[in-house]
Amino acid sequence: MTARVITITSGKGGVGKTTGVANLGVSLALEGKRVVVLDADIGLRNLDVVMGLENRIVYDIVDVVEGNCRLQQALIRDKRVPQLYLLPAAQTRDKTAVSPDQMVDLCQELRHDRDIVLIDSPAGIEQGFRNAIAGADETVIITTPDVAAVRDADRIIGLIEAAEKGTPKLIVNRIKPKMVRRGDMLSTEDVIEILAIELLGVIPEDEKIIVSTNKGVPVTLDGQSRSGLAFRNIAKRILGEDVPFMIIDQEPSLLDRAMRLVGRR
Amino acid sequence: MVAGSTEDPSLLTSEIQSDHEPREALFVKRTIRSGQNVQYPGHVTIVGDVNPGAEVVASGDIIIWGKLRGTVHAGAQGDDTAMVCALLLEPTQLRIGNHIARSPEGGERDSNIPEIAHVDKRGIVVEPWNMIKQ
Ligand SMILES: Nc1ncnc2c1ncn2[C@@H]1O[C@H](COP(=O)(O)OP(=O)(O)OP(=O)(O)O)[C@@H](O)[C@H]1O
Ligand SMILES: [Mg+2]
Repeated sequence: MTARVITITSGKGGVGKTTGVANLGVSLALEGKRVVVLDADIGLRNLDVVMGLENRIVYDIVDVVEGNCRLQQALIRDKRVPQLYLLPAAQTRDKTAVSPDQMVDLCQELRHDRDIVLIDSPAGIEQGFRNAIAGADETVIITTPDVAAVRDADRIIGLIEAAEKGTPKLIVNRIKPKMVRRGDMLSTEDVIEILAIELLGVIPEDEKIIVSTNKGVPVTLDGQSRSGLAFRNIAKRILGEDVPFMIIDQEPSLLDRAMRLVGRR
Repeated sequence: MVAGSTEDPSLLTSEIQSDHEPREALFVKRTIRSGQNVQYPGHVTIVGDVNPGAEVVASGDIIIWGKLRGTVHAGAQGDDTAMVCALLLEPTQLRIGNHIARSPEGGERDSNIPEIAHVDKRGIVVEPWNMIKQ
């Protein structure tokens, strides 16, 4: 068995790549897959914090690439779920500490005896991004429903296609149904209309994500939140299951419309 | 300029081209995304969208079988007789020859009809394709 290597990237910063990798890593592991999440954001490492594993880091990705340790020594096991490992980024180095070729080799090594390798990409279109996609078989674009993020996502899709990495799939993050309904926020349909790529799923805006990020407990781990469910569904779709889309930002319901007619909203 | 084909142009083709200087055309079948650009010394036909942040520049006409939301420049070497048409014509900026037009602010005109932009006495004008008199 050899793993699928999937990079999550965005162009624009702060749209939810790290949150996405942490939660999809957990979700895929909960599906019984053997998962490695790799933090390719060298110099701005975050994934370990979001996953609550920071205090267990001894070696990092640069140590592995430079041969200071074996790969197995650098992998940190997340004990809360079966078969989930983190390969942390280095905090004291920068993107040039690793080359795209070294990333390809590293991904080859990580593939053995695993099902999924998820890579957390840095923002931007420079070497950090190039590194993050170098070893990928597939890519996922995450964007928020605003014009600037979508523009950057479009740019990144062009670069990924030019790098012959195929066409990415899409996650729309931080949808606020009420704002969409008022016409104050792009809807998922608006985003797809521009980007014209396949939708993997939609994550609603959810305060629990902010809380969980700060606690180092991915939201998928603590039960029944809507965003956690959305991540679980996306993980299933990544594994080829046909899961119906959650209704988050659709047309106003009949009740909504009736309320508006009587002027109560 | 010379025609693209080395074969004798058929009667039909020569008739169609008779009122124009023969010019080569580039055919592109994909979406032009933000940050990408297409430049060609001739006509350009695109089957796909031209997204915001993308740019198409042609010395001849630009025909887009898709949504135009990026920036285009037809007749880029100063040819005011060039035209731009698209299934959805909502460019960020549209230039023909030496003329420039911008989309009205916040203006989604929501036209479901393919439109053609060309230059007349008033400057760049946009009309539904079926209103154009040949
Ligand atoms: N669906 C959501 N609802 C609420 N908050 C969210 C959601 N998704 C992400 N956030 C918050 O947004 C912030 C940025 O998220 P995250 O760090 O995952 O983005 P990123 O794309 O990895 O950023 P960077 O480009 O800096 O690496 C975090 O504080 C996170 O908690
Ligand atoms: Mg991040």
